[in-house]
Amino acid sequence: MILTGTKITEEVLNGSICLDPFEVSLVNPNSYNYRLGEELIEITYDVDDMKALPTQNKLTIPDDGYVLQPNKLYLGVTYETIGSTKYVPSLIGRSSLGRLGLFLQITADLGHIGTCHKWTLELTVVQPLRVYPRMRIGQVSFWVTEGLELLNGHEYKKEVNSYAKYSEPTHSQMEKLLG
Amino acid sequence: MILTGPKIHEEVLNGNITIDPFDPVQLNPNSYDFRLGSKLKVYKNLELDTKNENETETIELTESGIILYPNKLYLGHTVERIGSEKYVPIIRGKSSTGRLGLFVHITADLIDIGYIGRFTLMLHAVQPLRVLPGMRIGQVTFWKVFGDIKLYEGKYQGSMEPAASQVYKDFKLKD
Repeated sequence: MILTGTKITEEVLNGSICLDPFEVSLVNPNSYNYRLGEELIEITYDVDDMKALPTQNKLTIPDDGYVLQPNKLYLGVTYETIGSTKYVPSLIGRSSLGRLGLFLQITADLGHIGTCHKWTLELTVVQPLRVYPRMRIGQVSFWVTEGLELLNGHEYKKEVNSYAKYSEPTHSQMEKLLG
Repeated sequence: MILTGPKIHEEVLNGNITIDPFDPVQLNPNSYDFRLGSKLKVYKNLELDTKNENETETIELTESGIILYPNKLYLGHTVERIGSEKYVPIIRGKSSTGRLGLFVHITADLIDIGYIGRFTLMLHAVQPLRVLPGMRIGQVTFWKVFGDIKLYEGKYQGSMEPAASQVYKDFKLKD
């Protein structure tokens, strides 16, 4: 089951959902609009060495915007701290941005229960597109689980391959999964 | 929880789901196939701006369809008017579409509860691909909700053709 906007608001007030800062005007019928943080990384991975650090061009999106170019990957970050100890978050873009050809995530919309941080966004565009800091760019929905009690405090193994400790755009750490 | 095909059918008959026109042939075990409408919109400029209105031009599809090219965004629409005041729709392409490298939506698969209209499709091809009007291009699923329902009253409500982005209105709100 997916939470309605009314339920999302209730659970933010109850502390079961973390959306910080929270504004009622950003609540949708069944999701919450998040905003684009100012930090952006233009990123290039080393094709020959998955363990090598990627080349990162870090920039701050100026108030008059920044034009994203096609065939490139940018890592951004949500302005808000987002998470839940009770529901599964799913994070995507708004249809208003999809209508302009902007991807906000690539293949992985699913969050982990128990994490609460600023999410890294994977931005790529079909056509060049100017974006602005703090614009309402995406949406997060929350889903009811079965078996929550079985997690028993082991919500998310924070010490292992965890992106949850980061609140800035964070590059892939696939090398930790390579064994 | 996601509705099965027979449940979708039942809820269409009960009036809790709108799919119009509805044809049981397009029902899947847990989704309903929608078809590509005959009108596309493309942006006139290559470079787009979220803060300003981006002008579009309309393409009317003939029987022979159109070849979609990579690096260009095409806004399409479903033949069907779809929506629900009880369930949340989520859309995606058919796997037959994905196997051709065609995105049917970009980033936003989630539809607001209470939206009823033709869906705007964000068509993006990885390799050049011909699409035909009326083809079964995507599928819609329906999901149960938890909590009190407040219906969608947004700017895209009741669309009958591809609706270009109105995100620029957000910036006007703030100014």
